[in-house]
Amino acid sequence: MGQLVVERVVKRYGPLLAVDDVSFEAAPGRIMGLLGPNGAGKTSTIRMITHITAPDDGRILYEGRPVGRWSQERLGYLPEERGLYRRMTVGEQLLYLAELKGVAREDARRKMARWLERFEATDWVGRKTEELSKGMQQKIQFIATLLHDPTLLILDEPFGGLDPINAELLREVIWELRDDGRCILFASHRMEQVEQLCDDICLISNGRIVLDGSLREIKRRFARNTVILEFEGGSDAMDDMEARGDVRVISRSHNRLEMMLSDGTSPRSVLDYALSHVDEIRKFEVTEPPLSEIFMSSVRKGN
Amino acid sequence: MTKIWIVLRSEFVRRVTSKWFIATTVLAPVVLLALMVLPPVVGMMASENNEWTVAVVDETDVLGTRLAERDAPRFTFVPVDTPADSVRAAVLSGRFDGYLVLRDGMLEGDAGAAYYSVDGGGFSLGRRLAELVNDEVTRYRLDAQDVPLDVRAIMEDRISVDLLKLTDGGSAPDSAAASSAIGLGMGFVIYFTMFLYGAYVMHGVMEEKQSRVLEVVVSSVRPFELLMGKVLGIGAMGLLQMATWIVFVVGLALSAGGIASVFLDPSDFNLPDTASAAELVDAANISFPHVAPDLVAWFLLFFLGGYLLYASLFAAIGSLVDNQQDAQGLMFPVTILIIIPLLFITVLIENPHSLLSVVLSMVPFFSPILMVVRLATTSVPFWQVLLSYTLLCAAFVLSIWICARIYRIGILMYGKKPTYRDLARWLRHS
Repeated sequence: MGQLVVERVVKRYGPLLAVDDVSFEAAPGRIMGLLGPNGAGKTSTIRMITHITAPDDGRILYEGRPVGRWSQERLGYLPEERGLYRRMTVGEQLLYLAELKGVAREDARRKMARWLERFEATDWVGRKTEELSKGMQQKIQFIATLLHDPTLLILDEPFGGLDPINAELLREVIWELRDDGRCILFASHRMEQVEQLCDDICLISNGRIVLDGSLREIKRRFARNTVILEFEGGSDAMDDMEARGDVRVISRSHNRLEMMLSDGTSPRSVLDYALSHVDEIRKFEVTEPPLSEIFMSSVRKGN
Repeated sequence: MTKIWIVLRSEFVRRVTSKWFIATTVLAPVVLLALMVLPPVVGMMASENNEWTVAVVDETDVLGTRLAERDAPRFTFVPVDTPADSVRAAVLSGRFDGYLVLRDGMLEGDAGAAYYSVDGGGFSLGRRLAELVNDEVTRYRLDAQDVPLDVRAIMEDRISVDLLKLTDGGSAPDSAAASSAIGLGMGFVIYFTMFLYGAYVMHGVMEEKQSRVLEVVVSSVRPFELLMGKVLGIGAMGLLQMATWIVFVVGLALSAGGIASVFLDPSDFNLPDTASAAELVDAANISFPHVAPDLVAWFLLFFLGGYLLYASLFAAIGSLVDNQQDAQGLMFPVTILIIIPLLFITVLIENPHSLLSVVLSMVPFFSPILMVVRLATTSVPFWQVLLSYTLLCAAFVLSIWICARIYRIGILMYGKKPTYRDLARWLRHS
């Protein structure tokens, strides 16, 4: 199975430059996180990959060929804003969507039965969509994305509306699909999900790429400049250091602080300060910044 | 092509199996029949129960008595001598339905009569009263001149003029009234169905857009295929519904003689009791309009053309809006286009060969209704029908071409309502 190559793609909507010279690659057997603030150009990029719209400039290749009708049949797309035909039953709906992807009826029926079982949804096959809960609809939509056995998957916020148990089930399936050697694009605003799932990331802001590469390498690129401190007594202990500008608190809860060190502040000086200002220290850790911090600082710098 | 077929089949099957479809298919003829049969029946029952007692204030001294002596069905005339005030009071109290003033000079044709009542009397009462009074004045004046009976017979004779249509084999009665009724009926059916099925298309597009299932669907099929599949699928549903109705109407027409004969008494027509239904109907001089098969064929063809033209417009509207309210505003110009031909139907029926009629029946937005009306009422030169249909086909191809471009962009836009300038830009750039 081949890779997806986005090459210097440009998309304009009237005066608005939605995608500005974006290039990235997504390799089979890996999950690529497509990130960016609202309105950054993610959906515009995805619509070009899915061949719903065409780029004004640049090109998009899958397995070395420009995307088109042929690649649509190999593509499973779960959009962020998604829905189902409200008055159709789950079974009719899934068969129809599979047929539109070129799957023969009998084949679709067999695959549908398998996936419904996997998602513990076999009993819903005759139910109308409008009777289903949001979580159930999510699962049906996900099944619809998979019925034609796509080799390229684009999943935009696939976990929205799922409870932790179903989210875990979905995560397992996504990992299986990756291990099968499929090419997966994963778009989300939930950074902890991205950190958990993605091998590579590509961060878009204002239509341009501001950060991309393998997740591990990117995290390494950002210095180990984050300190996690768990303590007892003196919850306002570090306020002075923050006021002086030595650290920036990025997450604060009772007895726990996550701080980014300013240039020239050593982890040791934070520890020294903490030792003399709190009653007890339970944990002190110097680590890489969380992805959400990388996201925010990259977007800020990009603007 | 196969994808258009998949969409078409899904749309067709989904709609044809819905309760709504089955209900309208069965109920529409029943409702139509009720609308045709009920008003005359109700009207007959209502007017049969009406009788009027009218006080007559007679200033001519002769006419009142003559009216009172006359055997006028449903009217009782009572000459009164009392002053105007007390007659007025008698009417107000309900003793009389009204009072008629026969003014002095009426007999010479110098004055008119007047009828006073609490409720005004109504149209048909006024007409009957006028007939009666006029007839009586005429008779009085003829009597006064000693006009002989045979002259009066000459005056009362009414000569009929039969309208006949030249046909290949000779001539046939021109059932103008019946064919006008057929034309009117067909025109309204086309109007109604273009609107109804067009609205189906629009709501189908809106539902796909609102439920956001569209984004997934257009990653599998081209928007044009989705649009055509939907329009053709709903069109196929419409044809099935129409065909059902036609079968119903034809069945009704074929059995109409049998039904009518049940209400006829053979002895009224000097026929033996064993007379067949056909003989009875013939004797009663009841004729059922004959609908030519080619008229039915043109009816279906013009319906299809008109449907495709308007459905594409409705689909474009559906793709542009996020809710029903926005749709109303955009639907207004299209609605006007569908309604305009209705205003001209009677003009066309009365004068099917005037320049106005010919031109209007050529305009693509009007021809589905107006050409069918003309075809039903008169014989239209074949070149006119062909030209009209060619124009209609050209119009729907162009309309589909334009609307598909609007649709393609509209379905992916949310929130902002596009202006007409935006639409023009989409057309230029795609």
